[in-house]
Amino acid sequence: MLRVEATAVRGPRLDRERFQWSSLVTLTPALALLGLLFVFPVLYATYLGFTNLALVGSRSRDYSFTGLENVTRMLGDYVFVKSSWLTLIFVVGSAIIGQSVLGMAIALLLRRAVVPVRLVVGSIVIVAWVLPEITVALVWYAFSQAGGTLSILLGHRDANYLVLVPMLIVSVANLWRNVAFSMLVFSAGLRNLPTEVLEAAEVEGASVWRRYRLVILPLMRPTIVTNLLLVTILNLSEFTLIYAMTQGGPGIETMTLPLYVYQEAFVFHQLGYGTAISLVLVLIGAVFSLLFVRAARNQA
Amino acid sequence: MSAVAAGKPAPANRVVVPYRRVSTAALITNIVLVLIGGFFLLPMLWMVFASVDSNPDWAIKLPTLTLANFTDVLGTAGALSAFRSSLILAGTTTVITTVLAVLAAYPLSRRHIPFKRTFMLAILFASGLPVAMLIVPVYQLYVYLGWLDSLYTTALFLAASSLPFAIWLMKNFIDAVPVELEHAAAIDGASTFRILRQVVLPLTIPGVSVTAIYTFINAWGAFVIPFVLNSNPDDQVGPVEIYNFMGSHGLFKFGDLAVFSLLFSLPVIVLYLVMSRYFSGAFNFSGAVRG
Amino acid sequence: MASDVKFEGVHKLFGAETAVEDLNLIVEAGEFMVLVGPSGCGKTTTLRMLAGLERPSYGRILIGDRVVNNVAPRLRDIAMVFQSYALYPHMNVYDNLAFGMRARGISGATVDSRVKETAEVLGLGQLLKRRPSQLSGGQRQRVALGRALIRQPQVFLMDEPLSNLDAGLRVQMRAELSRLHERFRVTTIYVTHDQVEAMTMGDRIAVMDHGRLQQVDTPETLYDSPANVFVAGFIGSPRMNFLPGHITSSGGRTTVEFLGVKTQLSANSRLTGASSDGEVQVGIRPEDLSWLPAAGPESSVTLRAEVDVVEPMGHEAYVTALCGGHSVISRFPPRSGVRTREQVELALDPARLHLFDAGSGQTILQRPVEGGAAVFTSTRAAWNPSESEQGPDRQRPSPAPTVPNVSQEDLIQGGTHEESA
Repeated sequence: MLRVEATAVRGPRLDRERFQWSSLVTLTPALALLGLLFVFPVLYATYLGFTNLALVGSRSRDYSFTGLENVTRMLGDYVFVKSSWLTLIFVVGSAIIGQSVLGMAIALLLRRAVVPVRLVVGSIVIVAWVLPEITVALVWYAFSQAGGTLSILLGHRDANYLVLVPMLIVSVANLWRNVAFSMLVFSAGLRNLPTEVLEAAEVEGASVWRRYRLVILPLMRPTIVTNLLLVTILNLSEFTLIYAMTQGGPGIETMTLPLYVYQEAFVFHQLGYGTAISLVLVLIGAVFSLLFVRAARNQA
Repeated sequence: MSAVAAGKPAPANRVVVPYRRVSTAALITNIVLVLIGGFFLLPMLWMVFASVDSNPDWAIKLPTLTLANFTDVLGTAGALSAFRSSLILAGTTTVITTVLAVLAAYPLSRRHIPFKRTFMLAILFASGLPVAMLIVPVYQLYVYLGWLDSLYTTALFLAASSLPFAIWLMKNFIDAVPVELEHAAAIDGASTFRILRQVVLPLTIPGVSVTAIYTFINAWGAFVIPFVLNSNPDDQVGPVEIYNFMGSHGLFKFGDLAVFSLLFSLPVIVLYLVMSRYFSGAFNFSGAVRG
Repeated sequence: MASDVKFEGVHKLFGAETAVEDLNLIVEAGEFMVLVGPSGCGKTTTLRMLAGLERPSYGRILIGDRVVNNVAPRLRDIAMVFQSYALYPHMNVYDNLAFGMRARGISGATVDSRVKETAEVLGLGQLLKRRPSQLSGGQRQRVALGRALIRQPQVFLMDEPLSNLDAGLRVQMRAELSRLHERFRVTTIYVTHDQVEAMTMGDRIAVMDHGRLQQVDTPETLYDSPANVFVAGFIGSPRMNFLPGHITSSGGRTTVEFLGVKTQLSANSRLTGASSDGEVQVGIRPEDLSWLPAAGPESSVTLRAEVDVVEPMGHEAYVTALCGGHSVISRFPPRSGVRTREQVELALDPARLHLFDAGSGQTILQRPVEGGAAVFTSTRAAWNPSESEQGPDRQRPSPAPTVPNVSQEDLIQGGTHEESA
């Protein structure tokens, strides 16, 4: 009879997980490319942000470490402060609120729509997202011009809304382009919900709103948090759309931080200062990410 | 006689299932969706109408049909060369990104790698790093290496910037291949290379396609990176060409602009439609950042 | 061809959880060993360690004379049937069967003839061009089996291979697997949670619980002399009745008291030394507890009970009755006519009682060893419990014939084509 008593075990564990060197073989090409054109630039940027490097002139070769000079310059820079606010408005308004709420709404509505509506509307929304950004910029430029479709719809033919409310227009254009992303994420999340739970709630006679608030929303929390995280970091660095529509104007009315970085670095040739501003952008992104990851942890 | 009658319920007793009334809620749902669809369609529609209008302006209007805009655009050397450049840039980027992502994703999905979780989170974060931050040091680096003004070196940076997300996508696809199949193959005597080639790869073809097409769509529309790194006038890609066009004579040639944008948008729309069946599966991020 | 398998002091820990604890087990060459136990008992982990899919935390695993702890699965010369079958979904049946041989660099002509022969043996000849998704559950199961069979490995590993089949097919495949094993005599380790599968298929059965091996023995011994309460309760259906009791010894005779009755154990019942007096758990199998009017003469102990539930099975009936505040299951003849709340008398043979230490749950009874009857041992690694049934070739496995020598009729007696595709 092999009735075994617990025995004291001696010696090292034999099943410690071992790193297989062959893993490195397939990882290396990707790591090399990321190292050269991602990690190195990030580190280099962190250094450049504390220098007075310029694109042209003597400072382009003969630059030096200037410590916190760029930071103090930022604090006194009225454009930078304004630009930071615009970025926050853009990300919170267009991405976090607009894109996520509309994306969730469409995803929920599509579940209950008849098949032709679902297919057609779903495809149109996604095509808007697949279009090259420059095309989106163009069609929205046309849409909001004086004499454009929007001005006719609103009854003020001569109003150029891209000049009147530029931040609103670029935010809506960005929302228009990116809603599909959130919609896809939420649709996938909704598809993965356990149907029994939803049916149970339905059988219990919960109203649509109660079902949504008490059943769907809590179950979707991980998906929502992930969506918010991705949407925030992707939109923080939005450049092309705004640049092609307004180039930051009129004045500096749509000069979000990515545009300001570009202007400082490549128009005013202040590479060091421009990079310092981009570091602030990364910092904002990191803060948002931490908040969301925290939120994801707390739910468990 | 009676047996037959017993076999069928009398009509009077038959339970009649009524046609489901079209509920107001369902009606409202569909109407709201159609309105939303209209909001998304309207701006695009301008592009379509203006492209065949002999006298377009900024508003959507019924076109006076003409193909002059098309012949105009296709007749210029710039448009064709822009297509060629975009194809080279997006194609090179896609090949590099996809191959490297597949190779990297396999060990990240299956093997034991120290600090893998941290690495994957860093990758996710990296995919959101602003290009604005990287563009200055990369520009410096390209000046130093003499890599400026080439589509291929530009593609290299584009590939690097799209690689994190591609690896992440690809890892999720490989994760979805049942690990038991690999175990079965290993017990069957297959080497790692054979398992990868004959079991994992065939089963992740949809995933590889989605990754490739996603990368291609992004690279096809990329603006800033080629705008900054490649200023060779003969090699301008589509988005830069359209941007220049808008700046120089956009106000006069709406039609040409619309045609150019339309033609340039078609490849990615077609690509998306071809792959749409697999796309929805790629966006299952539930719990991706769970603690 | 067939090798023996040894586990020597094998442990497997997942984090702080112990999945397998100090496993010592020898599976003889050619033996059909069933690992059985409830889910989470460590049986699948044991199998996966043998397959090389997990590495043991401590101890050694040997296939033949080779320590395989650090040998890659593909170099162990084993074949495995997975619970999910793990068929390659993108390959047809032919390629699924051929995959293993091609991976080992066997030439095309050999592969082709072996695939066709194996397919014939398993009744898959018409299905070679189909993908797994186009097969029924039973057909998939057979492909999974064929993929293992085709290679004639040293050891077969089977992880609940029948659990995804419906009941009828399961019984049929059980017999088919037994026949295949008879034929090829490859050492087989078969994991299941189903004690019926274990009893019907195993040469020997290893019962596991909470990562520990509880008992290894032939099905008959396991059933007749369970080593502890767990094995006694796990093997056999309906489950053994357990009742609190008390034993006292005087003058060399042992008296058991339970449910208000006292009975003396027969003179040749020997108790393990430690527990001659004290609290015990008395185990009675339902078939040993019968209705008095139907009981045999040796059933000298009678109990009064009130019928609670009657479960007619057709050829017999199980009656749950309340007896001295305890619920006991007993076997009745099929048409006894007893009804709920009826007072009945139950009878049992004291020689069929099982006694377990109330604290440790270990058996305290050693079965009488009598000449002529089956010899029950618990250490012999044998799969030859009754010669009359199996014939002499069971003693010494002849070299396994290769697949081609076996005709389909030998292995599958009809029925295999009846399932709907």
